Amino acid sequence: MNASLMSLEISVLALGMLVLLADLIMPPERRKFLGYAAIAALTTLLIASFSGYGSCSLAGTAFNGMFVNDALSLFFKRFFIIAAILVLFIAIEFAERLAVGISEYYSLVIFALAGMLFAASANNFAMLFVAIELITITFYVLVSFQRNRLASLEAGVKYLILGALSSSFMIYGIALIWGTTGKLNFNELAAVAPQYTGEKIFLLGILLVVVGLGFKIAAFPFQIWAPDVYQGAPTPTTAFLAVGSKAAGFVLLLRVLFVALPVVAAHWVNLLIVISAITILYGNLCAIPQRNIKRLMGYSSIAHAGYLLLGVAAIAGNVHDATAGGAAILYYLAGYLFTVMASFTVIALVVKTSQTEDISVLAGLHQRSPLLAATLTIAMVSLAGIPPLAGFFGKFLLLKSVIALGVVNQGYYCLVFTALAGVVISLYYYFGVVRAIYFSKDAADLSPIAISGSARLCIWLSLAGIFWLGIFPDTILNLASEAAKVLSS
Amino acid sequence: MKYEILPWLILFLPLFSAAVIALFTLGNRTVSALISIGAIVTGFVLTLAFISGNGFHPAVSETSTAWLSIGSLQAEFGLKLDGLSLMMLLIVTGVGGAIHIYSFGYMHEDRSMARFFCFLSLFTFSMLGIVLASNFVQMFIFWELVGVSSYLLIGFWFEKPSAGDAAKKAFITNRLGDFGFLLGILMVWQLLGSLNFTALADNLHANPAALQVGGTIAGLLIFCGAVGKSAQFPLHVWLADAMEGPTPVSALIHAATMVAAGVYMLCRVFFLLNADALHVISYVGGFTALLAALIAVQQNDIKRILAYSTLSQLGYMVMSVGLAGQTPAMFHLTTHAFFKALLFLGAGSVIHGLHEEQDIWKMGGLKKHMPVTFWTFFFGTLALCGVPIFAGFYSKDAILAQALEQHNYILFGVAVFVAALTTFYMFRLFFVAFLGEARTEKAKHAHESPFVMTGPLMVLSVLAVVGGFIGITTVYNSQFAPDAEKLTVVQQLLEPLKNIVPMLLGIGAVAVGLFCAYTLYGKAATDPLPAKLGALATAMKNRFYFDEIYEATFIRLHDALAALADWIDRWLVEGFAIGFIRGGTDLSGRSLRLLQTGNLQTYAFLFTLGVALVLYLMLGK
Repeated sequence: MNASLMSLEISVLALGMLVLLADLIMPPERRKFLGYAAIAALTTLLIASFSGYGSCSLAGTAFNGMFVNDALSLFFKRFFIIAAILVLFIAIEFAERLAVGISEYYSLVIFALAGMLFAASANNFAMLFVAIELITITFYVLVSFQRNRLASLEAGVKYLILGALSSSFMIYGIALIWGTTGKLNFNELAAVAPQYTGEKIFLLGILLVVVGLGFKIAAFPFQIWAPDVYQGAPTPTTAFLAVGSKAAGFVLLLRVLFVALPVVAAHWVNLLIVISAITILYGNLCAIPQRNIKRLMGYSSIAHAGYLLLGVAAIAGNVHDATAGGAAILYYLAGYLFTVMASFTVIALVVKTSQTEDISVLAGLHQRSPLLAATLTIAMVSLAGIPPLAGFFGKFLLLKSVIALGVVNQGYYCLVFTALAGVVISLYYYFGVVRAIYFSKDAADLSPIAISGSARLCIWLSLAGIFWLGIFPDTILNLASEAAKVLSS
Repeated sequence: MKYEILPWLILFLPLFSAAVIALFTLGNRTVSALISIGAIVTGFVLTLAFISGNGFHPAVSETSTAWLSIGSLQAEFGLKLDGLSLMMLLIVTGVGGAIHIYSFGYMHEDRSMARFFCFLSLFTFSMLGIVLASNFVQMFIFWELVGVSSYLLIGFWFEKPSAGDAAKKAFITNRLGDFGFLLGILMVWQLLGSLNFTALADNLHANPAALQVGGTIAGLLIFCGAVGKSAQFPLHVWLADAMEGPTPVSALIHAATMVAAGVYMLCRVFFLLNADALHVISYVGGFTALLAALIAVQQNDIKRILAYSTLSQLGYMVMSVGLAGQTPAMFHLTTHAFFKALLFLGAGSVIHGLHEEQDIWKMGGLKKHMPVTFWTFFFGTLALCGVPIFAGFYSKDAILAQALEQHNYILFGVAVFVAALTTFYMFRLFFVAFLGEARTEKAKHAHESPFVMTGPLMVLSVLAVVGGFIGITTVYNSQFAPDAEKLTVVQQLLEPLKNIVPMLLGIGAVAVGLFCAYTLYGKAATDPLPAKLGALATAMKNRFYFDEIYEATFIRLHDALAALADWIDRWLVEGFAIGFIRGGTDLSGRSLRLLQTGNLQTYAFLFTLGVALVLYLMLGK
């Protein structure tokens, strides 16, 4: 066993505890500093993961193969750390709105990050479950963190109960898999799975695990919680939920389907196509009538889960070469990360001064703060998938990976058509936001918005990411292709 | 290659300057102007440094970086560095730099000066991009960027409706040509399988029959791009209207850079043009030269005369390319950049001194009041007319010689006639505007412009005088005709004597033009020509009714089509088709939303129902 492979996870856990301890000795007015310190520490870890010197970027397995370090896990770990850094920036901006305990908020974000890091490396159903629970349980608290706000508490309770429901399905599924095969390790399972493909109990177990993961990524028909929770949760939590939690769901889904059970996944192409198509349509259709901006983002995140499932369906169509579909998913997630962070930073700032979260608060934003207006517009345009921004190239790669398989299975063509229809529908509500910013006449409040340093930094970093990914896709695409090779069987 | 970084710096400095001005210094006029001027002047210095290090033909003529690759399409971002592009770099940054400095004086009273310099830098960036492009994709992108930035500059005084209209006209007319250009690029890609200029030339060299019959069509489609940008007939109509922009813009865009892009592009991809295509190109050029010169004879606006003169000279260059004379074409492009920029800036100085008066019949007697402008304008006029030892004499003579060498006597005759017309309308302008008595109060109280404006005039007038024999042809010959011997300055001075016929006819044309201009306009108070020529003069004055013809045919047809499309869109597409689809989508969205009751029990039920559904679908059978 080589515990040094886990240096990243261990450092992050230690950092979380340090933040908690520091809170004890730090005077309340200086706690903002804690956020910056955490960001600095995470940035150091991020650099370490790129430097190639730290043991965290070595390939290998630990804990009897429960924990694996490979290109895929490394890609996702960097992704999660960047997400956490940006979320902490938003949290610093948000600090005064969390009645008490901003340090606990920081440390919970860091603990959730630790869960995500473990998820990226999980190579065993027990590890998968522990990682998921570490993420989910911290999120129960993060969602209901605004204790004085009823909506936040309500969202927390909803997430807790539905999350518990999905966890119970998942643990039951894991039990069934273990019961039939006696294996929990993904690689070992892959070796024996072909013998069990006819056993319904085994398939039931896998389906239940997929249900649990479907809940995490908010895919149809397990998406029902997302809009309410996104709306009620504090804005930094919503951002982390949309990016981190969803991506953790995807990395686990990819590993379960294509590392552990490629033989089964190859038979489930039609299921994945149907789920992907309905998720896209559901998210986009429901977003149309939304007036609450955070709820709108909730539905939008459902739709994006649907787009990402395009890539999963594409890999299932050809499990021997996951490069195209896998790289598309990873690239898309990277673009989605920066876009979502940019949107939620702006939302956090705009909603701060007005009590409502209705889209109408955006009216006249271009006069109140041109930077925020431009950022939100760029984010919306990127989410809608318009070149030269990150969102365009991601959608392009996903669609391309699916179209390539249309020759084998006509269902893929239907899926492409549905996805394109979804994109068209989404233009309507994304540009509805842009319209609200620039063309709305009835702006109630035209006072300038003050942008704190942390929010400004977060915005510029996100914008840089959106443009960089869109204009110079090659760097990330190479990393993503490298990572996706892990999934080929 | 030494200093490989320099060309990249030269290209991106103006973009950087535009970005800095737009984002940070829009509120500070002087700083913005200095940033913009600094960017282009630095570019000029760096160009000189690069050339002094590598000569005009660096060992490696390309530097590139991979941009993106999708399937078989490999798009690279590369810079082409050879005699042609380096000479153009000198022109764009050098003449452009003089114009930037001049603008600092000319636009000083304008409250949007910072915005002006931002656009100017953006334009410079786009133009440098065309010049340095190593492949068609990149060239097309910058080609369009030039279109956009010229739109911004021409419409700079957008509060004037005429400026807005002129900007739109320039942009749309250019787009027409660009559409053909794009088709041509796609066709070349289809036929030759590459878009990189070097690779294209190699492919074509290896397999000369690769273009087959498509060669003529592809060549002419590519020429469409030049027709738009270099304002050749029938898309010449935008250039005169574009004079609505500030005068330095006219000098930059419509003398030295943008309109030169078409000619430059033709020379860059000359190897793609076959004999048939060249034949068409030469006649389009010749016809444009003649048409524009005739129109110029009866214009009264000082800038419009120069605009039509530009059209006419561009016709010369295009004709020369069509006659397989790239060196004469680029030579004339270069000298023309010197003296036409000078003339435009001189006209700007006059307009400035007369408080926005542009009608030459309301000027007169400016020699006394504006001596520097007078003398520099005089030199520019001599250069444009082609008076011996001035720059224009050498380049025009080279074109005449080229026509004669190709035994194309029709175009040779046209060129000589246009030379006479050129002298005629330029001296008409000169006699009326600068000599004689002041005709109006404004002209009586004209004042000389400040040094920041007259300085660039003086620099450019030196170039207009000596441009013909300072080795410009040597550089171009080394590109297009590597066997040609290198000439010393004296040999260059005497070069026209080698072709005695075109030289004598050229000088004769100048003499005839000058004589006619002096007899008619030497002491005229009003224009005597309309009485003598009657209907022809009216037609010239009205630019042969091209705008009216286009208005009555193409634009009317376009309006009818637009109205039809509008009707279809409004009633069939929007009302019927979209109405149903949109309504249906909207309705389904609203009804799906009802599922989200907010009730936790319902949610848990739906969730479990979903699980049951998935299990049934997958395991039920």
